[in-house]
Amino acid sequence: MEKLLSIWYASGAYNLSPGQVVMIFVGVLLLYLAINKKFEPLLLVPIGFGGILANIPQAGIAYSAVENAFYHGGPELLADLALLLGSSTADMGELKHLYAEAIPSIKAAATLLAQDAGFNNGMLYNFYSIAVKSGAAPLLIFMGVGAMTDFGPLLANPRTLFLGAAAQFGIFATVIGAVALTSMGVMNFSIQEAAAIGIIGGADGPTAIWVSTMLAPHLLGAIAVSAYAYMALVPMVQPPIMRLLTTKRERKIVMSQLRHVSKREKILFPVVLLFLVALLLPDAAPLLGMFCFGNLMRECGVVDRLSDTAQNALINIVTIFLGLSVGSVLIADKFLDLQTLGIMILGIVAFAVGTAAGVIMAKIMNWMMGGNAINPLIGSAGVSAVPMAARVSNKLGLEANPQNFLLMHAMGPNVAGVIGSAVAAGVMIKFVG
Amino acid sequence: MDDLLAEGLSLMVFGMGFVVVFLTLLVIATSLMSRLVMRFEPAPVPVTAAKKGSAPAAPSGQPDDQVLIAVMTAALKKFRADRNDQ
Repeated sequence: MEKLLSIWYASGAYNLSPGQVVMIFVGVLLLYLAINKKFEPLLLVPIGFGGILANIPQAGIAYSAVENAFYHGGPELLADLALLLGSSTADMGELKHLYAEAIPSIKAAATLLAQDAGFNNGMLYNFYSIAVKSGAAPLLIFMGVGAMTDFGPLLANPRTLFLGAAAQFGIFATVIGAVALTSMGVMNFSIQEAAAIGIIGGADGPTAIWVSTMLAPHLLGAIAVSAYAYMALVPMVQPPIMRLLTTKRERKIVMSQLRHVSKREKILFPVVLLFLVALLLPDAAPLLGMFCFGNLMRECGVVDRLSDTAQNALINIVTIFLGLSVGSVLIADKFLDLQTLGIMILGIVAFAVGTAAGVIMAKIMNWMMGGNAINPLIGSAGVSAVPMAARVSNKLGLEANPQNFLLMHAMGPNVAGVIGSAVAAGVMIKFVG
Repeated sequence: MDDLLAEGLSLMVFGMGFVVVFLTLLVIATSLMSRLVMRFEPAPVPVTAAKKGSAPAAPSGQPDDQVLIAVMTAALKKFRADRNDQ
């Protein structure tokens, strides 16, 4: 009988907390959205599954050695840990708080103590520290994105960079939104948290993850999930805003064909971009440096094998680790929070404002140049989300005029948006990091 | 609280300003680079392309084709023969 009871006490069903039930449900919901609705499946499948794994009771897959010791260690071990953290409390919440605030050398000592007692880091925790906490995974993904990006349309019409700049207004407007909510006492965000939330408006998953690991690691789960969820919603969020801000005549504007871009220009562009980053904004150098490196591998034509690996095998491997790691932070006590709701709402506002700013910028450019050179529909592609945003521009253009293919024209602002959001990320880290 | 709002506003003004300045400089640098490349490009490229294109293509192309035709004819014969057997 005693043995039966001990099995029951160690079972998942006995230890399941209501928070974990909700989080497992969130994980299942993400899987449903990914599998049934095709919402960014490449990321939401690993994230959703990681979220479920992280919330399996007793397994401690997403916890560090010390956290596992807190949950499963005997009273003596807890007393030792408390002593190390400079307290005599036996209260779990207090201990966790002290550990979170501790300086790195104390944390290392606590880890060793927990490991001596036979506790180890969970698998997902290890993935998280290697892939996300170190910043490696988002940067490797950025390299792969660089290797997939063709800057031809941008080089043929460099002015589309302005559209990519304008769409970043969504990022900064959201920062104001988050700060204003705090001022009104509705939410409670620090300026770092506000900056990390704003980056969702860049519609760029790796950038959002990179910035939030730097500025607000505790919000990573909510920020990554809303960034990818809204990227999937681009085809639904953008069209109403675009229709609202443009007239039918504007949507019919046919743009002149793009000039041919030589190979040499394509090779030189990442180098020029890297020089500008090095001179003006070293804080964006990790992101844009890897991006330029990936793009140079693609365009130089002598390392096709490396470029091929960067844009296929490597990016897929990194995506698996990144997704699972992001899933691992979907833990009840970190995710089920009023802040998460605020992040979700602010994220969609960021998106909408960015889209509107891009379209309005295109109209301003037409007005300043006194012509009809730019179809305002391509302005919305300035929020990165490559290539969905460009496809949306193309689709709306075809609706207005079945002969008007805007896809290549929209790719210019689209890749400009990637550069723009990486620059915005660098600025955020420089000012508030 | 108001400090935070002021901080947010200054982040918006400086941040957005910096993004615009950076991308404007990128537009200028890119246009300059393109213009330079196009000025020096047209002369050398067609010459080298023509040399590379015409010289090795002629000798290497024909024998390959002949071998290929021979192989294909043989394969076709074999295929027909096999089918007639059945």
